[in-house]
Amino acid sequence: MEEKILEILGEHCEEALDYDGDSMMEDGIIDSFTVINVISDIEDEFDIEIDAKYVVAENFKNKEAIIALVQRLLEE
Amino acid sequence: MNTNTSFQQVVIIGYGKVTGEVLQYVYDRKEEYGYELAFIEHEVHPFGVTENICRQNKISFERITDKRKLAAQLDKLTKETLIISASNNFLFPAALVAKPNVTIINFHNALLPDYPGRNAPTWVIFMGEKLTGITWHYVTAGVDEGNIIIQKQCEITGDMKAYELTEQLMELAGEAFRESFADIMARRVQAREQGFAKDRRMYRSYEVPSDGFFDLTDEPEDIYRLLRSVDYGKNDIFPLMRTVMDGQQVQILRYRKITADKAKSEQDSGQEDKGFCYLPLGENMVLKLKYASIIV
Repeated sequence: MEEKILEILGEHCEEALDYDGDSMMEDGIIDSFTVINVISDIEDEFDIEIDAKYVVAENFKNKEAIIALVQRLLEE
Repeated sequence: MNTNTSFQQVVIIGYGKVTGEVLQYVYDRKEEYGYELAFIEHEVHPFGVTENICRQNKISFERITDKRKLAAQLDKLTKETLIISASNNFLFPAALVAKPNVTIINFHNALLPDYPGRNAPTWVIFMGEKLTGITWHYVTAGVDEGNIIIQKQCEITGDMKAYELTEQLMELAGEAFRESFADIMARRVQAREQGFAKDRRMYRSYEVPSDGFFDLTDEPEDIYRLLRSVDYGKNDIFPLMRTVMDGQQVQILRYRKITADKAKSEQDSGQEDKGFCYLPLGENMVLKLKYASIIV
């Protein structure tokens, strides 16, 4: 699962893969449009719906946060 | 200091990507022109960058989500002020527009006089337009009616979704703003009247393309266009589109254009039993829909 998420993230923003901070948005690594694309591909890949309530900066602060979010949704 | 302006103050209102670009650009020229700069956030964006830009650069930041409070705050402006409305849905009151010390400019995400009002990227896609663009214009008491400062065009490609078009329009808006800024500050813009028709249609925030419904017997290309036109990712600007499947009302959770080979392989593996539907789009492509029943 992790590998696939990183592959999706890398497709839309390669820089995000090397980012080790805790706010990709504030640091200008990704923007809201990248987030939309990443969510769309993740939903499709894992056949899950990511509710709008999860689409907050905290869940997209770095690659680990995205992986953790998908992990939680898959376990629900 | 660049004295080629009479504006003593610049106030920026808006949210989203273009607002951040405009804010940074105006901040970077603050010393050159000598104006005071303030930012007002009227609508909160989950991925907004403006508060951070303000914090980093010590720019005055206020969050005023109440329309009346915002109008009252702007009414207090006494200095020669340029208000920049960049991706903003607040309608400026006529009394503010009429103030002699206030000039307001606004970015609209379509080529005015066409597609005034709300959600223009949606309507241009839904109507099957091939071209659209952005307009920076002076604000008057009417909605999106003021004289045009600058416009830029872009193409609408065949698979473009509303959020993708929005992103492109915001880039164009930032570019156009940078090109016009010096002229706006020097009040030397050769603005031109819009010359709109009397039957000009204004798009309202409550309007939904096709009333949010399609029939599975509609042309798949039309269904695809409808879905793309309301696709702003997780922003719930529009409700999920609905249709009737096997006599039951369903809503479309997701959609994707895939190759016919991939669709066949998915159908063979029983995906249709898992809430997916496949509609042939032609040219060896298929529209894949993920749907769910509407629980009344």
